[in-house]
Amino acid sequence: MKMNRRLATANTKILIAGLIAVAIVVAVIAVVRFDTTGKKGSGLGQEFIYDVGELGKIDPNLILYKESAPAINTRFTKCRAIALAPQGTIYVAGDKAIRKFDESGNDLGEIKLADAPMCLTIDTDGKIYIAMKNYVQVYGNPPKPLATWQNLGSDAVLTSIAVSKNDVFVADAGNRIVHRFDKTGKLSNRIGARDKDKNISGFVVPSPYFDLAVARDGLLRVTNPGQHRIEAYTFDGDLEFWWGQFSAGVQGFCGCCNPVNFAILQDETFVTCEKGLIRVKICDPEGAFVGVVAGPEQLVEGGPSRVSEFGPASQAPGFDVAVNTSGRIFVLDTIKNVVRIFTRTSQKNNSDITFP
Amino acid sequence: MSKHSEQTPGRRQILIAALRYGALGLLGATGGAAVFARKKNNTQNTVWQIDPEICIACGNCATYCVLEESAVKCMHAYAVCGYCRICFGFFGPEPADINEGAENQLCPTGAIKRSFVEDPYYEYTIDESLCMGCGKCVKGCSTFGNGALYLQVRHDRCLNCNECSIAAACPSGAFKRVPADKPYLLKRVDHV
Repeated sequence: MKMNRRLATANTKILIAGLIAVAIVVAVIAVVRFDTTGKKGSGLGQEFIYDVGELGKIDPNLILYKESAPAINTRFTKCRAIALAPQGTIYVAGDKAIRKFDESGNDLGEIKLADAPMCLTIDTDGKIYIAMKNYVQVYGNPPKPLATWQNLGSDAVLTSIAVSKNDVFVADAGNRIVHRFDKTGKLSNRIGARDKDKNISGFVVPSPYFDLAVARDGLLRVTNPGQHRIEAYTFDGDLEFWWGQFSAGVQGFCGCCNPVNFAILQDETFVTCEKGLIRVKICDPEGAFVGVVAGPEQLVEGGPSRVSEFGPASQAPGFDVAVNTSGRIFVLDTIKNVVRIFTRTSQKNNSDITFP
Repeated sequence: MSKHSEQTPGRRQILIAALRYGALGLLGATGGAAVFARKKNNTQNTVWQIDPEICIACGNCATYCVLEESAVKCMHAYAVCGYCRICFGFFGPEPADINEGAENQLCPTGAIKRSFVEDPYYEYTIDESLCMGCGKCVKGCSTFGNGALYLQVRHDRCLNCNECSIAAACPSGAFKRVPADKPYLLKRVDHV
């Protein structure tokens, strides 16, 4: 009897000790697994994860260019636009200044401005046309202010400027219109307003990226980013034709509004820049995809996934692009504020490739 | 005897010491109470909110809230929105077609409604009863678009915990206390 009582007491003690041991183990596991800092992630399933990593991968066979020189540090905290002078000098607009560089990255001088420049272009006579948010300033060569043109109002957001022999064209993203001035700054006409009779659907510009250029065929090319296309207009405002289509694939323009910027090479092919999935591509004059200059993996550290990790304050911005007469492509990286130089390495033309 | 009387404090000395320490204790207690009351008052006059300029839409808001359904919801800054036909906050990165079919939508819970305004513009509205604050649409919109979609703590749901578990788990430090009379950090229109 006494023996059984001792045995029962011993069993109870073992049971209690076991329970305490289990409780301690459970507590330790709970403490170790408990994530108060969120480092282990949200724990959400794959369907809740936003991933464009696969889309950002580009078949290496489609890449026709390679980076051929060290990047030029613009020393801007916020650069906005790039333009090349006819003789090849690189002009970069940023902060409240314009900086000049040669192709080796040597600093050739700076023009200090009162306001932040949005875009610029250089005429054949060396005059520099700089668009601020809502007005244009003209600088001579050597750089000294020559004229300040009329203010286009508080709604105006000027994003691109181009010159022809007698005209200056200014893209206004705020009013979704192109202003045509003569070289004295007198407004001649506006291009691109919605007009059913002229079959013009109007520009759709959801974000402040709205680019234009004068092509060698004498027509003005203007992006219509919300429609994913590039449109050709006469200087008088008649829509001649357009090309471009939405596609997440490399052959089209991805996202809600692309392309953001473009430049035209000597052979009339187009270099287009997209934001979101940052891609610089080549399209022939009819808009057929030719190849890639650089994709997200080449242009953004960490690739497209890194871009979508940015906070909204530093949204994936639109890169700008310029070309020189020998076909080199100058990409203004607005994340790192550097100019990256690409040279063609392959003469392949992928316009006959059929994409799924 | 006299030596003993020097070492042993008298009744008066004990009383003075007791009064002195008592006064010190009272002072400390009053100070502590004041600090506590101030802190409590601060907590009552402030609420938790997400700074949309810092938020990276990591998804933690959906799972770290003590509520079964998170107090964090997606909000839409209409003034910032481009009313795009192809909104990447609404459509997945590779939509099979540009229509409202469930297979084309980005939101796993179908919480965003797309309605036609005029060609080529569409309006997008959030159904908060379906939104769980995962931030997937926020990422799509801020990666490709203007960042019109963003996350905010909805104060009709938030319990305003003293130690918010989402704030502790927020990797970007976007959670902050804001004055209760200005409880939302709304996105600004200036997009340039």
